[in-house]
Amino acid sequence: MKVAGEKQFEAPPDTVWQVLNDPAQMAKTMPGVESFDIQDERHWRAHVKIPLGLGGLRMSIDFEKVEEREPDFAKLHAKGNGVGAVLNMDTSFNLTEADGGTNMKWEAEVHLLGPVASMGQRVLQPIVNQQVSHVLAALDKQVQEAKAG
Amino acid sequence: MTETTVTPERPLVVESGELKPGFIGQNVPRKEDKRLVQGEGVFFDDVKRHEMGYVQFVRSPYAHARIKSVDVSKALELDGVYGTLTGDEVAILTDPFFELSTPPGANIKDYALAVGRVRHVGDPVAAVVARTRELARDAAELVEVEYDPLPHVLDGEESLKDEVVLHEEAGSNTVWSGVFDWGDFDAALADADHVVRIERLHFDRFSSTPLECSGCLVEFNRGTGQWTIHGNHQMPGVGAIWMAPALRVGIDKLRFVSQDIGGGFGNKITLHPQYTACCLLARKLNRPVQWTEWRTDQHTANTHGNERTFLDVTVPVKADGTMLGFSVRAIDDCGAFPRYEPLGCIIWAQVTPGCYRWRNVRVDFTQVCTNKSPVAPNRGYSRMQHLWLTERIVDIVASELGMDPIEVRKKNYVKHEEFPYETPNGCIYDSGDYARCLDIALDLIGYDSLEEKRRDAESRGKLFGIGIGSTLDSGTNNFGQSMILNPELQFSGNNEVATVKLDIFGEVVVTLGTVPQGQGHETTASQVVAEILGCTPDDVNVRAGHDTYWNSTAGFSGTYASQFAVTGLGAVKGAADKLAGEMKQLAAAVFGASPDDIELVESLARIKGNPEAALPFMALGAILNANNAGLPPELDITLNVRHVYRPAFEKPDLERKFGNLTLTYATQIHACAVEIDPETGVYEIVDYAAVDDCGNRIHPQIVEGQVHGATAQALGAATHEIFTYDEEGNLLTPNFYDYHVPHALDMPPMKTGFIESESPFTPLGAKGMGEGGGAGIHAVCAALQNAVGRRGEGPIVWRSCNPYEGVWELLQKPDETRKLVSVESR
Repeated sequence: MKVAGEKQFEAPPDTVWQVLNDPAQMAKTMPGVESFDIQDERHWRAHVKIPLGLGGLRMSIDFEKVEEREPDFAKLHAKGNGVGAVLNMDTSFNLTEADGGTNMKWEAEVHLLGPVASMGQRVLQPIVNQQVSHVLAALDKQVQEAKAG
Repeated sequence: MTETTVTPERPLVVESGELKPGFIGQNVPRKEDKRLVQGEGVFFDDVKRHEMGYVQFVRSPYAHARIKSVDVSKALELDGVYGTLTGDEVAILTDPFFELSTPPGANIKDYALAVGRVRHVGDPVAAVVARTRELARDAAELVEVEYDPLPHVLDGEESLKDEVVLHEEAGSNTVWSGVFDWGDFDAALADADHVVRIERLHFDRFSSTPLECSGCLVEFNRGTGQWTIHGNHQMPGVGAIWMAPALRVGIDKLRFVSQDIGGGFGNKITLHPQYTACCLLARKLNRPVQWTEWRTDQHTANTHGNERTFLDVTVPVKADGTMLGFSVRAIDDCGAFPRYEPLGCIIWAQVTPGCYRWRNVRVDFTQVCTNKSPVAPNRGYSRMQHLWLTERIVDIVASELGMDPIEVRKKNYVKHEEFPYETPNGCIYDSGDYARCLDIALDLIGYDSLEEKRRDAESRGKLFGIGIGSTLDSGTNNFGQSMILNPELQFSGNNEVATVKLDIFGEVVVTLGTVPQGQGHETTASQVVAEILGCTPDDVNVRAGHDTYWNSTAGFSGTYASQFAVTGLGAVKGAADKLAGEMKQLAAAVFGASPDDIELVESLARIKGNPEAALPFMALGAILNANNAGLPPELDITLNVRHVYRPAFEKPDLERKFGNLTLTYATQIHACAVEIDPETGVYEIVDYAAVDDCGNRIHPQIVEGQVHGATAQALGAATHEIFTYDEEGNLLTPNFYDYHVPHALDMPPMKTGFIESESPFTPLGAKGMGEGGGAGIHAVCAALQNAVGRRGEGPIVWRSCNPYEGVWELLQKPDETRKLVSVESR
């Protein structure tokens, strides 16, 4: 499943870049994060409980920053393992300055495998849409906090 | 042939006093029903053992991947977890299950758990046993499996390219391929006035869904090395043949026991991988283990019906509508493992020309593996797909040539006076009258007022269509047909066993080799025995269920392939005849008379013409078993007899792929009327009729129940039951939330009729039946076609399953399917 969109921030690109590339801050934007371990600047791991249809899906997700062109582009790969489910996600964002703020174009390709995917497919799209809006709102909040210092 | 009138309405319960002399053909009360309706049935899940553990399989989330590691340590640390089993252990402790195919299929290695590689989502990788079912499920979540994903292939035609190969040891995805060529198709093509070509037809993947999922409770006796499997395997004879060599033991080390089973439909024929895993666990852990399949697992990882694509269908037709035959290229998708395959590559040939007099048939058949759930026999196994093709051919040809599909059918049907009829490939259709059945079906749905109904529907903005489906329910396999696929196989003929005895207190006790799943075997067996012994069905105790220790089983004992009325009751009749002979011998010895002077009536053995000279059955039992001093020494009887019924089959001609593959051919002709909302594609079945001919009916009510069940199966398959996979190989219809099985309220108004064409080849003139659902699938397809298309116009219904959205798409893009059909007229 592919999802993509744009988001405007009332902050300069370097502030947005800083938030997006700080795993600790990003962890605060993700839904259902129960713990978060930074292994190095390119690798980190999150234990999450993803709300999915009839119940929460616990997953251990390994993140790897696979490409980075500061200050406007980064690409991330995530691989999650859970009970009866495997998550593979490739996501990227592109930042440009716009009217004193920042425009972020982003896209993600999400693959969910296994029995959970079988059962959850019908409800996956609306859940993803909902979670994306949560993440973006949380991200906006993090950016504003970073901007305020 | 004896023909009875159409009686759509019959009493569900026969009142006492209504019974006519004799019990065969009567609706006697079913012996099984009392315990079932009172909740006293014993299913495998009702069997408990002290300290038993519950099995949970760990399943693959990938359609295709290498297994890098399996770590069960965290699961084992959990309190209450008794143990685990992994693929590595299975590979050491067992041999691969034997394969029926010739190479390349023969080289596939199939184990109880995935070894080294997973090949479909849901493929079992490991098993965990714990104190409770819930704990086992929790513990399974702690098993850590590391995978290395591989490319996968989900489509049969793509699989043929071997760009992704599932089984490296086979080197190809092709399990079996061969060309069947009967008559002279090229000459027929040259002789045709019209040639109709159909580029593509597709029979969708679905399955019957037993109310009771699969499962077993397995005990291992360390002293004897024997396993007792309380399960719901519906063909334990074959199950043991697969399991015992894999477990490296003799067949008698596996005892299969079942009492009541909640439906089988073929899904429960290929349980040997799961049962083998349970046997290993019971032995390893030295405790009984119990496995009950979850519904999601049943859909995801048990078995489906064969999915089949028909390409390049070519049909030579004479100007008067006589069809001379057909040719087709068939690609059968058997999923990840050929668990019962490649038998599906020949089973269809039992009904090669369908109900028709086609003499020239060429079928290029290939079966391939894909990264989907394996297939297994599914009510109507392999014939359903082929019969759907033959029916689709008839309707498309009739439509494209502007002919009446009813008349085309009647012109091409095998005629009543032609029975027994030999098909181009040597099968012998025993009896029938297809045209008569069709007339009854049409009468039941009021075919004469068809145009009036069409006008009425159109006045309400609906599209109206009517369709026919004709099915042959071939029963009692000649297992020798498997040699056409693989000459090395040592199979031919068929058999089944029953024992009948008269106990010391005069009780008649019957044991069956079959494995009933709701078909009423106890009832019908008691009818036959009562008729022969001159008692009532109430006097006959048919032991419930199946137990391989009863000595009433043969190599392939089970309940499958529409054969109980022939093989099962043939064995019962043979045993009862033998027992009757012994009872007469005993009575004759007591009376000093000849056995020919003795008759068995009213539970007595008496001298004909002298009702006073009578011995009750109890006396016979007591004399032989207890008071036998003084009996003549030459009286060599036991009052405990066993009979093996063997149909008179011959080995097929392997070179020509020719021979009688099945003993009986029951018929079902269905007629269906639909109304479609053209704006949405939503349609409703507004009238429906099913006419059955299964020869002499032993118990009409049971037959009618089978007709209703087969129709429900068909309507589900035709309208919405479909196993759909996403591009990753995830099954999107893994449970009843997404996979809708018809409920009672989904069933249309249904009318039934019947005729009885006695089979000349069977002991009771009966034919096996119960798998006639294919007629219904096509009846719906044909009705939809009739509603949406006209000659040379409109879409072509090319798939077997047509949910509402599919019909909407057909209506929106008629050209996309219209181009699948072309006509060459000379």
